[in-house]
Amino acid sequence: MAVARRTLEPAPTFARAFGEAHERLPGAALPALADWRRASFTRFAEQGIPTTRVEAWKYTNVARLASAALALAPKATVRLDQVSPHLAGGPPARRLIFVNGHVVPELSHVESLPAGVRVRTLARMIEAEPERVGEVLRQVEDDPRSFTALNAAFAGAGSWIEVEDGVAVEEPLQLLFLTVGQPAPFMSHPRNIVRLGRGAKLRLIESHVGLSEGQSLTNLVAQIDLGPGALLELDRIEQIGGDATHIGKSYVRLAQGAKLAQTVATMGGGLVRNETEVLIEGSGVECLLGGVYLARGKEHVDNLIRVHHAAPGSHSDQFYKGVIDERAHAVFAGKIIVHKDAQKTNAYQKNDNLLLSDDAEIDTKPELEIYADDVKCSHGATAGDLDPVALFYLRSRGLPLAGAKSILTFAFAAEVIERFADETARRLVRAMALARLPGGDSLGELA
Amino acid sequence: MLEIKDLRAEVDGKEIIKGLSLTVGPGEVHAIMGPNGSGKSTLAYVLAGREGYEVTGGSVTLDGEDLLAMEPEERAAAGVFLAMQYPVEVPGVANMYFLRQALNAVRKARGEPEVSAAAFMKKLREKAKIVGVKDELLKRDLNFGFSGGEKKRNEILQMAVLEPRYCILDETDSGLDIDALRTVADGVNGLRSANRGIIVITHYQRLLDYIVPDRVHVLVQGQIQRSGSKELALELEAAGYGGMLGPEFTSEPPPAAARA
Repeated sequence: MAVARRTLEPAPTFARAFGEAHERLPGAALPALADWRRASFTRFAEQGIPTTRVEAWKYTNVARLASAALALAPKATVRLDQVSPHLAGGPPARRLIFVNGHVVPELSHVESLPAGVRVRTLARMIEAEPERVGEVLRQVEDDPRSFTALNAAFAGAGSWIEVEDGVAVEEPLQLLFLTVGQPAPFMSHPRNIVRLGRGAKLRLIESHVGLSEGQSLTNLVAQIDLGPGALLELDRIEQIGGDATHIGKSYVRLAQGAKLAQTVATMGGGLVRNETEVLIEGSGVECLLGGVYLARGKEHVDNLIRVHHAAPGSHSDQFYKGVIDERAHAVFAGKIIVHKDAQKTNAYQKNDNLLLSDDAEIDTKPELEIYADDVKCSHGATAGDLDPVALFYLRSRGLPLAGAKSILTFAFAAEVIERFADETARRLVRAMALARLPGGDSLGELA
Repeated sequence: MLEIKDLRAEVDGKEIIKGLSLTVGPGEVHAIMGPNGSGKSTLAYVLAGREGYEVTGGSVTLDGEDLLAMEPEERAAAGVFLAMQYPVEVPGVANMYFLRQALNAVRKARGEPEVSAAAFMKKLREKAKIVGVKDELLKRDLNFGFSGGEKKRNEILQMAVLEPRYCILDETDSGLDIDALRTVADGVNGLRSANRGIIVITHYQRLLDYIVPDRVHVLVQGQIQRSGSKELALELEAAGYGGMLGPEFTSEPPPAAARA
């Protein structure tokens, strides 16, 4: 009897792409690394592409990737004027700029950072310290997630950011990933490693921008490790193309007293899936996860979050807001897991959605799993229309219906946008949000 | 001229306004007094065009134009302004940004040029001073976290900036202490002019000590039961609705079951 498979076998094109690429990947001559990549590819092939029968992918269908003919992205060029609208962090910022996963040295600038700060491409770090890098890359290989294995098989793109104990980095750092459409579909597998030592501080802005249409897959992995008392402000901006698929997972570990303030804006995209898995390993941790997504047309935006409280006395807060219009589809699944010993945990989760059209869809699933008895946890999700009373109020002052709607929609999203740590990033996101609203250009001053 | 003729309106299928007529000319201040549930706020919302307040009969015209056929924003452009009893909190929209958008929307609809940011700020600061709205409130989100008094002042500020031809103040005195009441009343009195009509809706006579009306109307059970000069308010204060109109007007009509 045939049993419906929960995952799909990847098309032979993946093996072909791996065969073509693996000898050219950074550190290909290092046997340990090459073996690990090969083993990772095998794992990927075994695990397969999830179908919607896999619970975590119930509302996001990536099955078509199994048969996609994706080659590793070729190098591409961009003009400065295409890049500059997406720069954030202001004049002191340091940047690594990637196009289709390949670093563009002439646009990047990471020099003259203070002692104790290292910002390198992952490729360069592999060459410089293969053993240590290999060890770090392997830290997430136990996750039975085929996209992580696929990322490992092609590991080489991305960045390595390391701040030593006690170093507070003044300069914001931006990782700007640009995707430029090509005649043939392609994929890239960046991995960003962010390691902050005891008491270290960093503001990181991560941008993913589709500059032109064309089918592509960005399969991102991030490994974020904060030492005791470290602070990371992470602003992430995603403006993914309508033909593009962007799948990413962040693995976050927070030691005692560490603070992560992450805010993610997803301004549409053909298919966007952001996964965040946080392990709170110590007490006094603060983990703030903010997110805002605006989807329209036939866009699909999916956020999946897991926060593990494995230690007592820490605080986590998920706050996601979405605006879904036309035929777009958004998904939110957030889970807080409070382990047995994690007494005095404060953990919150909230997902509010505005559905602006009858055809728009949101599937939201907030979950709590609590094994300790002395905790404060809450979760909630809403989906609704604009408040008719507020709408009437604005109209009664003379604002036309469309403008009043856009103002209220923007205001709804702004509650999360205000959480962006970096002023320039915040302004970029405000402008992007306005550009997605009817008559938004006349509301420019809100930005 | 704002002319309400034999107006009937219902909310959720229940008739609240049951044949109400009222004419307010330019330069006039009319007070409408009435107990809870008499239809005061319903009248205010009907005039401003709020959804869910369905007109089932009669007419309202503004200088001969059918007000009831207009969208809320068209009424605002035509010069109708409702200072609400419960101003809505709008987090995420700065008070002064909103007000400038509103002013320019109204001006645009009237075929007037938009006001520059600088000219607007000057005007706003002037008016804000008069109605006692602090600078800090101008920068904050619209009504968000404002105290009851601050919200009411902010309504009057909007009114002062938008310079409507007909103002409806819906229980602007509720929740105000005596100092706030005075400031708000001063603001309203400052807007009294030969070409502006004002309807003051209130429970209590107190507000009318400060905003002295030309006419007073007693609205009970969806109809204007009596009209008179400003002295009528004093009379009403002394006698109560029941004393003035008869015991059947003391309060809300009893529920159907009790009547049967």
